[in-house]
Amino acid sequence: MVKLSQRLIVIQNETIPLHFKALLIDTTMENPGDDLKAIREMMEKSSKFLSLSGLSGIMAGVTAIAGAAFAYHYLLTSVDADKAQKITVLLIDAILVLISSLAFAIYFSWEKAKKNKLNFYNKVLIKTLYNLSIPLAAGGILCTAMLFRGQTDFIAATTLIFYGLALVNASKYTFEEIHYLGITEIILGLCAAIFISNGLIIWTIGFGFCHVIYGFIMYKKYDKI
Amino acid sequence: MSNIIAKLNKAFDSRIRLGIMSVLMVNDFADFNTLKELMELTDGNLASHIKALENLGYIETIKQFISRKPNTRYKITELGRNSFQEHLDALSDLLH
Repeated sequence: MVKLSQRLIVIQNETIPLHFKALLIDTTMENPGDDLKAIREMMEKSSKFLSLSGLSGIMAGVTAIAGAAFAYHYLLTSVDADKAQKITVLLIDAILVLISSLAFAIYFSWEKAKKNKLNFYNKVLIKTLYNLSIPLAAGGILCTAMLFRGQTDFIAATTLIFYGLALVNASKYTFEEIHYLGITEIILGLCAAIFISNGLIIWTIGFGFCHVIYGFIMYKKYDKI
Repeated sequence: MSNIIAKLNKAFDSRIRLGIMSVLMVNDFADFNTLKELMELTDGNLASHIKALENLGYIETIKQFISRKPNTRYKITELGRNSFQEHLDALSDLLH
């Protein structure tokens, strides 16, 4: 760029025919496009968590489907169990799903960061997690309070809606797909609140299939470089 | 043509300075180590470019203590933001 600017200063006060403009860009510019690309990359790299892997989404979806399948099977077979027992089993099931999806998310993102020679742990990650955790913690506490009161009707709706809000909130620090995934989860959550008897199925669509689909889209778009 | 070229800011000739300004355009502030990691630079190299941008009034230094350790953060100034935006516009004009 030093060479470039020296030349530019020399020609600064001259009028140049248009076809020379093309020549100049082609030969002497170390390409303004490259500069713009570098600027854009640095802006993204410093403000967005780019290590999030699509595989995390796919695996989160798969564990959610497995967890929901177990819950469905359990509810069908354990007709004689009392309500408190059912709630305990389903709660453990849900916690296992949550822990394994988080473990997969961390593992695959860690791998992606390593592959792209990015720092996995940085300030942007903290910002992302902070913004994710506010609606998530609120929703989690609300759901626990509802469970303790034996209110299970709106659990599917509440988890979906708060998870969706968390994604929308955190999406400004990562890929834009997360924003749309969040909106999808919120809409599904509202559906689950209206069609209460289909709660488990809608929950499975939201946490299972949507994760797999969005995970796959993101894997195709950002992971295969 | 000459107008466009005149608008390109010489202060932003170096990739490192472009990098520093890019980071500070989209973040409220950044500390020395964050900048260093993002651009994979050595201390001395980064410091000299920061100094240059600071002397031009494009960025400002905020020194503070975080749990008794000194911490230096950098922030873009109004002048810096406008100058960098002009430079960006000039770069994209050159492409068209």
